[in-house]
Amino acid sequence: MTQAPDSDTMFDALVTDLPVVDATRLSRRELFAMLAAGGFAALLPGSAGAQGVPNAKRGGILRISGQTNPSSMDPYTGGAGTDHTFLWPVFDTLVEWDYATLKPVPGLADWAWPDTKTLVLTIKPGILFHDGTPLDAEAVKFNLDRGRTDARSNIKADLSSIASVDVTGPLQVKVNLSRPDTALPAILSDRAGMMSSPKAVTALGKEHDRTPVGAGPWKFVSWADNQKISVRKFDKYWRKDRGFVDGIDFAIIPELATGLRSVSAGQNDMMYAMPPRLKPVVDRNKDLTLIQGPTVYCTQMYFNLARKPLDNLKVRQAILFAVDRDAFVKQAFSGIGEPATMQLPSSHWAWDKSVSTLYPHDPNKARALLAEAGFKDGVDVVVGGYSDQDAVRRGEILMEQLRQVGIRLKFINGSIPEISAQFFGAEKKFDALLAAWTGRPDPAMSYGLMYGKEAYFNAGRVEISPELQKLLPEARASENQEVRKQVLGRIQRLVMENAAVLPLAFQSELTVVTKKVQGYKPNLLGKPKYEFLSLG
Amino acid sequence: MFASLFTPSRRRVIRRRLVQAVPVLILATLVVFGLLKLMPGDIAITLAGENATDERIAEIREMYGLNRPFLVQYGSWLAHAVQGDLSKSLASGEAVAVSIARSFPNTLLIVLLAMTLALSIGVPLGLLAASRPDSALDRTVTSIASLGIAVPNFWLGMILVSWLALEFGWFPATGSVPFKDDPLKSLHHALLPALALAAGGVAEVSRQLRSSMVEFLSSPPVRTLHAKGLAPRQILWKHGLKNVGVNLLTVATLLFNRMLAATVVVEAVFAIPGMGNLIVNGAVHRDLPVVQGVVFVMVLVVITVNLIADVLYTVLDPRIA
Repeated sequence: MTQAPDSDTMFDALVTDLPVVDATRLSRRELFAMLAAGGFAALLPGSAGAQGVPNAKRGGILRISGQTNPSSMDPYTGGAGTDHTFLWPVFDTLVEWDYATLKPVPGLADWAWPDTKTLVLTIKPGILFHDGTPLDAEAVKFNLDRGRTDARSNIKADLSSIASVDVTGPLQVKVNLSRPDTALPAILSDRAGMMSSPKAVTALGKEHDRTPVGAGPWKFVSWADNQKISVRKFDKYWRKDRGFVDGIDFAIIPELATGLRSVSAGQNDMMYAMPPRLKPVVDRNKDLTLIQGPTVYCTQMYFNLARKPLDNLKVRQAILFAVDRDAFVKQAFSGIGEPATMQLPSSHWAWDKSVSTLYPHDPNKARALLAEAGFKDGVDVVVGGYSDQDAVRRGEILMEQLRQVGIRLKFINGSIPEISAQFFGAEKKFDALLAAWTGRPDPAMSYGLMYGKEAYFNAGRVEISPELQKLLPEARASENQEVRKQVLGRIQRLVMENAAVLPLAFQSELTVVTKKVQGYKPNLLGKPKYEFLSLG
Repeated sequence: MFASLFTPSRRRVIRRRLVQAVPVLILATLVVFGLLKLMPGDIAITLAGENATDERIAEIREMYGLNRPFLVQYGSWLAHAVQGDLSKSLASGEAVAVSIARSFPNTLLIVLLAMTLALSIGVPLGLLAASRPDSALDRTVTSIASLGIAVPNFWLGMILVSWLALEFGWFPATGSVPFKDDPLKSLHHALLPALALAAGGVAEVSRQLRSSMVEFLSSPPVRTLHAKGLAPRQILWKHGLKNVGVNLLTVATLLFNRMLAATVVVEAVFAIPGMGNLIVNGAVHRDLPVVQGVVFVMVLVVITVNLIADVLYTVLDPRIA
């Protein structure tokens, strides 16, 4: 398994190098002093604060080379998965996640489940939006209702299980569900949980897309399309153990090699989402550090289960046995990444070891399965692909691997929106699509979106198995993590036994930083946050 | 002074050109609009977000008027554009006029600087080569010129960056600074991209100038000038340059227009937020208002430059008017 979490080791060293303090022996005064300095957070295992970097140096403007213009700076009206890294600085979320496992942890609010159809959110006191208005129960209700009902909201599907939201106290909200949905806390760690100031949203209307007001560590200053986004420190931010730099300037540089050059030249301090092919450039430069972390971003081949020849289970299984994932990662990702045997990487809380061994690389078995399916002389499969350099390379590698067992791939390449719409949309072109799943905070979301009978990303819109269809809502029914893990494991097994997808590799998040950047830690979602970062 | 510049015949030229500009503008924007519509892909899918359902995509299409007939959409855009309203980006909501006002100066600065470089290096080189045709000097200049044309400007740009910016640190590797904020810093940022852009221009100017000058120098009037006892330098710079001026103007105009287009690549290499950057992003995201806005402004610029060239022709050679 290819995993080199350099950053994790670096980060662990940072935390363990700190003097060990026994919190129970501290006087009240000392305890509060530590709390104020943010040091206490590091002593609380499992809390978001445990991820913090105590005593980090404050100040300085962090300059980041970002890759795409955000679709909107309003979390509810935007749509691109690449927006988050611009949104996290401005918006705190109701729920957060553990960086390493994506397990939900409290953010702006704590949560409880009085029953499976009621979620109670208790908002932490004293939190202000950047415009000085309080982040209270009314504000949370305003946001959730807006997400559910506003014509411009892109997160209606995420919040579809919510029937109503009641304010039950100044800082307490009761979310009533129409069906059990324990994925909701994780959903509230994403766009849906990003709280905007009701006053600003009401006053600004559509303009809130471009002048957002949240409650994050930094407040929005300016956005020049395709050029620059600036945020500056919010002095009344509710937590002192994060948000160390005085501001962040994102330069938007879509050409990634150029973005890297801007970091090499010292014009920027860091760059995220670096493609593995540029690694040699970083290796040659001793002033740069490469930080690497696993992500849930999965390069995979989607199948249309309603089209011949992939409607045949044995053909799909033959494909899964024919692929050498280790070689794929080596060739397509310069060895940086984790071979994918299911929809989750091994560090995820819901990973299931028994599922990961279902399809070892076995060309003979692939040939036998193909013969059993009636394709002794091989089979032709038409695959939609993307036309960028890296995607074409991935296609070629796969083509060669599958050719050896008699599966002849024919690629039709084009732009991402064009090809994916032709595959998933009404046209139903191609037998398969070589693309990726960017991942969601909760695995139940991913499974629902890809394997539900009517799901958009289930290109054939077929029922994969009756049991799977029944388990999908069940994955959201229990609030007990262990129970959920079992149900999710069962779903993963059914998906893989039915060979509904060909997972290939989990992309590693590659971030390049200069020597002065400290405390950066990648997260499993692969969408960088800068709250613990400081400039030395 | 300007009154004498706008003689009745020149006014006629300007009027004629302005009238011709209208159909050009409409045709250019209509063709681009059509091409964008023909391109597969749909901005509604992008706008609808990652978890979009088919209904949501349809709703977005309705909301942004993307399901209206092609000509209705174009007509609506044009009606607003002629009133100065270039509408807003579908993808990000920024007013297109604001994006263009911010991006155009960056592009213009690089192109003007590249033009200055191309002319100030290309003209002396061309004259030098023409003064001694078929000499070693001429062959050297011609070879350099061929190389200048052959080298792709994005490659040259990357070489310049890795050498002058990353190795020696003399220039910034990426980005730009608005001229009005800090003229010196702005020029400092623009010099490398302008050099990359100018290489082909230097070559073109010097080669074109050389051939027309060689032609002029072997013409009968030059024999007269020699007979009059004029120094070769005077013949070359004073009489020669004036005679090939029309040619040079044509080359310069074409070069300017081509450089405007070539900035698309150079801007990507140097991460300059200019017009090229804007139109590429717009096209990738099927952001019609942005692409249309940029095309509209670029066509206006080209028409204006051609108009200025037309007037200058009549100044250089009154017979043209």
